[in-house]
Amino acid sequence: MSDPDRPEKVSSTRLFRDDTKFALGRIAVFQYAAVGVFLFLIAGFWVLQIRDHEANSTLAERNRIKTVPLLAPRGKILDRDGRVIVDNQPAFVVQLTQENLKPEHLAPIAEGLHLDLDELKATVRRYAAGKRYSPIPIKRDLSPAELTFIDSHRDPGTFPELELVQEPRRLYPQNGLAAHVIGYVGEVSEAELNSSEFASYSQGDLVGKSGLEKQYNEILKGVDGQRRVVVDVAGREHQVLESAEATPGQNLQLTIDLDLQAVAELALEGKKGAVVALDPHDGSVLAMVSRPAFDPNLFAAHIKAADWKALTSNPENPLINRAIQAQFAPGSTFKPLVAIAGLETGAVDDNFSVHCGGGASFYGRYFKCWEKRGHGGVNMHAGIVHSCDVYFYTIGNKIGIDGIAEYAEQAGIGKKTGIDLPGEAEGLMPSSKWKLRTQREKWYAGETISVAIGQGAVTVTPIQLASAIGGMANGGVWFKPHLVKMAAAPDAARKENWNLDNIAKVVFGMYGVVNEGGTGGSAAIPGITVSGKTGSAQRVSNDFKKSGKADADDKDNGWFVAFAPRENPEIVLAVLLEGGEHGALAAPTARDVIKAYFDKKTRLSKLTQPTLALIRHPGQ
Amino acid sequence: MDLILNRYRNLTALVAAILVQLVLLAYQVKSNQEIRLIRVWAVTAVTPLARLLEGSRSGTVNFFKDYFVLLDVRDQNKRLQTDLNRVQLENQVLRSELDTAERGKALSVFQEQSQMKTVAARIIGNSPGSNGRVVLIDRGTGSGIQPGMAVITPDGIVGKIVSSYPTASNLLLITDPTFAAGVLSQKNRVHGTLKGTGNSNVIVDYVQNEQTVEVGEWFYTAGDDRVFPKGLLAGTVTAVRPGRTVKEIFLNPSGLQHGLEDVLVILEGDHKPIPDLPPANQSVHLQPLPPAEGDPANPLNTAHNASTNNGGAETDLDREVERTRRIGEDQKHVFGERGRGAPDFNRVPDPAATHPAPAAPPPAKPAAAVPPTASATPSAIPSATPSANQPRP
Repeated sequence: MSDPDRPEKVSSTRLFRDDTKFALGRIAVFQYAAVGVFLFLIAGFWVLQIRDHEANSTLAERNRIKTVPLLAPRGKILDRDGRVIVDNQPAFVVQLTQENLKPEHLAPIAEGLHLDLDELKATVRRYAAGKRYSPIPIKRDLSPAELTFIDSHRDPGTFPELELVQEPRRLYPQNGLAAHVIGYVGEVSEAELNSSEFASYSQGDLVGKSGLEKQYNEILKGVDGQRRVVVDVAGREHQVLESAEATPGQNLQLTIDLDLQAVAELALEGKKGAVVALDPHDGSVLAMVSRPAFDPNLFAAHIKAADWKALTSNPENPLINRAIQAQFAPGSTFKPLVAIAGLETGAVDDNFSVHCGGGASFYGRYFKCWEKRGHGGVNMHAGIVHSCDVYFYTIGNKIGIDGIAEYAEQAGIGKKTGIDLPGEAEGLMPSSKWKLRTQREKWYAGETISVAIGQGAVTVTPIQLASAIGGMANGGVWFKPHLVKMAAAPDAARKENWNLDNIAKVVFGMYGVVNEGGTGGSAAIPGITVSGKTGSAQRVSNDFKKSGKADADDKDNGWFVAFAPRENPEIVLAVLLEGGEHGALAAPTARDVIKAYFDKKTRLSKLTQPTLALIRHPGQ
Repeated sequence: MDLILNRYRNLTALVAAILVQLVLLAYQVKSNQEIRLIRVWAVTAVTPLARLLEGSRSGTVNFFKDYFVLLDVRDQNKRLQTDLNRVQLENQVLRSELDTAERGKALSVFQEQSQMKTVAARIIGNSPGSNGRVVLIDRGTGSGIQPGMAVITPDGIVGKIVSSYPTASNLLLITDPTFAAGVLSQKNRVHGTLKGTGNSNVIVDYVQNEQTVEVGEWFYTAGDDRVFPKGLLAGTVTAVRPGRTVKEIFLNPSGLQHGLEDVLVILEGDHKPIPDLPPANQSVHLQPLPPAEGDPANPLNTAHNASTNNGGAETDLDREVERTRRIGEDQKHVFGERGRGAPDFNRVPDPAATHPAPAAPPPAKPAAAVPPTASATPSAIPSATPSANQPRP
């Protein structure tokens, strides 16, 4: 119906051609854009999937698969009857995962967990310098409040670097009971990690730091396990890929008897000193106490800097195990060994007598006896019973320093006993050779006079004294003191050919100390032949005391060494009261421990054999 | 005779009928009845038939009538049902509006009474892309909301903010498995960590089996998680049972028990003491704030008051020392002192006797630092050589 010559038709044809060109142009642009987009995507995929494939795979794997460590509990420490001295209890340690760690989170985390921010930063730096992906333990033994803080903030949106790991915590006795024997655990140090002994350890691992925990670390420590689990983005576990259970450490059964240990602990409560009780037949340590003590539970987690400072700056030195590390002059407890030396060397016999008028002169110097009125005529028995200084000045002078040193050293004075505890002190037994070697001087005979009564240069540790007197009472047979109960027979004994008659004479004197009106009468127990010897040893010279510079800490030490029964002794003790002034004050401690020993023996003798076996070998 | 009767049968019948009529009339006169017998007989004769006919008729009529009536009843029932549904819907809407108004009022009252600085928000939907129990609220950073802030209702805690945007925030609900908050029980002050389980219940973790928690007991926030202020309701215990390592405690979260629509985000918290009594009224509207009491100086320390460094746990050595101590006390013996001689360790102490707590170790004295080396000597000996004045033995 329309006219074909009308302009609209021409216009329509032009428009059609323009639309085609326009459309083609737009299609070309679109095509180029599409190619560009695809090239961009291909480049991106190349970077992600080819160039950085390994790194991205590792990251993805780590986000998807989590390794959860299963920390092995350390072995328990038991007494000789299988009673638990050191146990484990469930606890948690919080770690920071390095791959999720954001530096800006450290401040709020430190605040929430009551940590020092600078210490935390230093810890993170230390670990960052080591293995890149090893977790950083930042706090152990978390309180309930800290557990809650971690649980409520370790979601992916808050502090995803926080991770809780269950770690058995050491449970030590309270109030420092047996603390020095047990020792404590702590994180392996940088210095330890650099030594071959700790080659298998990693940062953050717990190791024994002192006492039996250190000595038997390899036995007590277990083997950690681990679980590999699949987790989602929120950290929830969905599947366990593999699981290797932790192997607990081996239990350690000690020779310690808790019945005796408890008595010794109570006897030293509030005092400064040490108690060592041994079985002279095999060297088993029945009790060992050192006071003041520390609480090993402070170390069970990470000890706070303030607590550590308080312990190390304490003038009472609570970290020192006085039973094996305190080196003091033995005082009159040394006299039985001098008597043995006199008898064995033939310098004197037991009938040798002196007159004590309250003192005597040797080499131009007057030496007083502790009894100012004098003891009168004194033979060896009376000399030991009444601890007459003049008697021992005299026989010491006759024996000479090297004779005394020979027999004292045979008894173990001046040498480590070799007890299975780290850090044992040696003590000192002076001799002419020793003085020449150390001071380039000859020994003067006048110096022997002091040594003869356990003063001068001679120093002993409580364990040494107990071992020495125990071996003597055992007939000149010494066993190495040890704390761990052995399945096999104890180490070969060291035997000296001491005349048993001579030993019996000295032992008789020691019996008199306790039972014949001697200085150790307070150790007497009806029905039990306790033998002993008191000792009061100066810590400073009288001249120093007179100068007015001495304080309360410079009071004499009180010693008491005892064994029972008189023949074939089963228990020997050394008691040291630092600043205790008089050995007689140490005697009741020995009495209580010995009484506990024999009361227990009576108690056990009334039990039937099966019951006894159950007590001795619990769990069998 | 028979023939005559047969022959005049009609007449005979008529005569017989008249005779019977006459006899009956005579009987009727004699019996003095008002109703005529013929009627009686007619009615009596007709009634069964009539009854039958009427029964059939009425049955048929009733059948059809009932049918049509039933049809009407069904329709009517439908109409009534529709009406009822409409009314119920209206009722629900009104009830919801009333609840909303009450909740709003409760929130308002709670906000007024509380010392805490809060901002009210409304749940506007589930958070997209989240498979956890996270919801979206209509307030964000513009209202001062930041991640980590606590969210509550007057009924109790609801969750915490995990991310915030200018006008909205993501709220992690208390039931999400990644949620945790520190809580204290109302009766025994047992501390634990409340955790979501993914369903409507929550649990309280890290409570020792030896600790006492009762069903029905209330748990309040402990304030030690640094998210929730102390003293807010968390929930009631619905079940308690001993677990392998810790007690298993299930809680009904109180903050969610009346639904979740309007919430309060705590901008600035205010620690409150845990009340001694459970809330008397658990209703939304009447929930009071815990009564004021002497709050400890540091509310964060109330959860963990172990008297010893090992949490009070004992070893056999601790028990043996206590047993020995009791022996000494029983026999009036002081260990290590002269006294009357050694005690009898085989004499069992009187269990009824009361005994004081074990003595604490002597306090440490501060002084110059001494490294705890193994070879250190406790005290120096100023003079190794003694004087001539010898000590006692």
